[in-house]
Amino acid sequence: MAELADALDLGSSAVRRVGSTPSTRTNLPDYRKEEMTMQVKELKKSGLNHELEVTVTAQDIDKRVDQRLQEVGKTIKMPGFRPGKVPLKLLKQKYGKAIMGEVLEIAVNETSTKALKEKDLKPALQPKIEVKSFDEGKDLTYTMSVEVLPKFDVKEYKGIKLQKLVSKPDDKAVNEALEKIASNNQTTVKVEGKRAAKDGDTTVIHFKGRTADDNFEHPGMEGDDHHLKLGSGMFIPGFEEQLIGKKAGDKVEVKVTFPKNYSKELAGRDAIFDVEIKELREPGEAKIDDDFAKSLGLDSLDALKTAVQEQMQQEYDRQSKMHLKKTLMDRLDELHDFEIPAGMHDMEFNNILGQIEHERAHHVHGEHCDHGDDYSDKVTDKEKDELKDIAGRRVRLGLVLSEIGTKNNIKVSDVELQKAVIAEAQRYPGQERDVFDYFSKNRGALETLRAPLFEQKVVDYILELADVSEKTVSGEELLKALDEDDGEGKEKSKKPAAKKKKA
Amino acid sequence: MAKKAEKTKKTEAAEWMYEIISNPHVTEKGTRGSEHGQVTFKVPMSATKPQIKQAVETLFEVKVKGVNTLIQKGKTKRFKGHKGFRGDVKKAIVTLEQGQTIDQFNA
Repeated sequence: MAELADALDLGSSAVRRVGSTPSTRTNLPDYRKEEMTMQVKELKKSGLNHELEVTVTAQDIDKRVDQRLQEVGKTIKMPGFRPGKVPLKLLKQKYGKAIMGEVLEIAVNETSTKALKEKDLKPALQPKIEVKSFDEGKDLTYTMSVEVLPKFDVKEYKGIKLQKLVSKPDDKAVNEALEKIASNNQTTVKVEGKRAAKDGDTTVIHFKGRTADDNFEHPGMEGDDHHLKLGSGMFIPGFEEQLIGKKAGDKVEVKVTFPKNYSKELAGRDAIFDVEIKELREPGEAKIDDDFAKSLGLDSLDALKTAVQEQMQQEYDRQSKMHLKKTLMDRLDELHDFEIPAGMHDMEFNNILGQIEHERAHHVHGEHCDHGDDYSDKVTDKEKDELKDIAGRRVRLGLVLSEIGTKNNIKVSDVELQKAVIAEAQRYPGQERDVFDYFSKNRGALETLRAPLFEQKVVDYILELADVSEKTVSGEELLKALDEDDGEGKEKSKKPAAKKKKA
Repeated sequence: MAKKAEKTKKTEAAEWMYEIISNPHVTEKGTRGSEHGQVTFKVPMSATKPQIKQAVETLFEVKVKGVNTLIQKGKTKRFKGHKGFRGDVKKAIVTLEQGQTIDQFNA
């Protein structure tokens, strides 16, 4: 769960989200810039939860309403009056209620942000506001419960001691990789003479099948000259096993049962296949030489070796980077311990949970896997606890990173954002245009790109200051180190921030 | 004294009164009069000043100082060459005693 452990989206951090309430977003006409007077009373305070009671006087509201009425009165058409000549009294009678609602909303928005500022609270999420009483001519009172961002000191991150695992692919690893490539490109050689088929052999078969109970040949149950590698698991379980030990020219009746998650009609039914083994082939020797390299489109064996080495090096570098980032995150997590807002925690948790459930549902229904039955798409309570921890960690790291980021004035420039968009577009070849359109039309989507960029920049910033020592390890050790951190080794989940709907 | 008491006694609101005061006449010009305690109504052509006065006094429970009426002649209109007339409208400008007001638009 490597990526899960990363911090949550930072760019659209909660502070910023709250900042764009409607009242601050729109360009205010002059009269509305006038401040509202209000009284703020703190009702309750427990941990990160604050409950405030805000009162705005009736006069203030009335004044606002009148001002607003005058504003709209300039354009309102009323029979018997020229536009803009309707007396205020009449306007109030006719439109007072509607305007009142509008003014109230603005008043609540405005005063709530002001109240938070006054009390010096940084809300983690959108505050919950409940209007307690309001009537015409009466004061407006409402309560506001808000969860604040925890105040914490960023611990010293300069000179953090980190160990970077560096690994170079050695000859052995390269050779192994080469052998793997070779075996993937293996040719098979016909077995001369009679020999019993064994695991790893390839049989050339003709097969014709029918369901056992009604003797019916379903489409797709017949095949000629089919190359079936024994032990590859390509066919229904049990099929290949029954061919082992048979010789070329043998005719075999194979009895199998379709797995439960096979296609609807056949699932769980018994079937009989008449199989004729026409030929038996065994894997030819995989030779790694210049000819082999040439067959792969390279000049010589040496060229192939360097190519493989380079590729592996890249892979190692990437993993070493990931590992470094992970250790950094771990360290930061260890260093900081503060209460996180429950609201954010829950949100993140649900986020992850939803994702995993979605992925599992996809997994089970998307493929006909054999483990379909025992693979439940429900997340168990134990897993939920684990996820809860992960969510908490992500929220905490997110807060820490964003704090470090803002303190050090780390910003994601538009140019960088542009680059990210281009990179994103390249992931959908042929649809680049659409992707660009999607981002230019959708500011929110752009923000989701900003978040990982911001995170990366902050991480880079810290790493620059950190005291990184290098340690050379073998490739396997590197992989092992990563795996250990992954812990449960469940499916890797992408960060929500990095996810993008297809344009 | 007895006679005076009888005069101030509330008159029952009758159906014809509602017919007279069926339409308030809310216009820019009409609202101008409100500064002087004047209220404008559209009234039926057949309504007389005394009737209007009585109707206003009983329905709005105010004292009326005087009633002025006018008849606005309907415009001659032509539609596809045919002559036509808009109906005449009688308006009544009711002056209230000092300090009296009518919230006529809620009536």
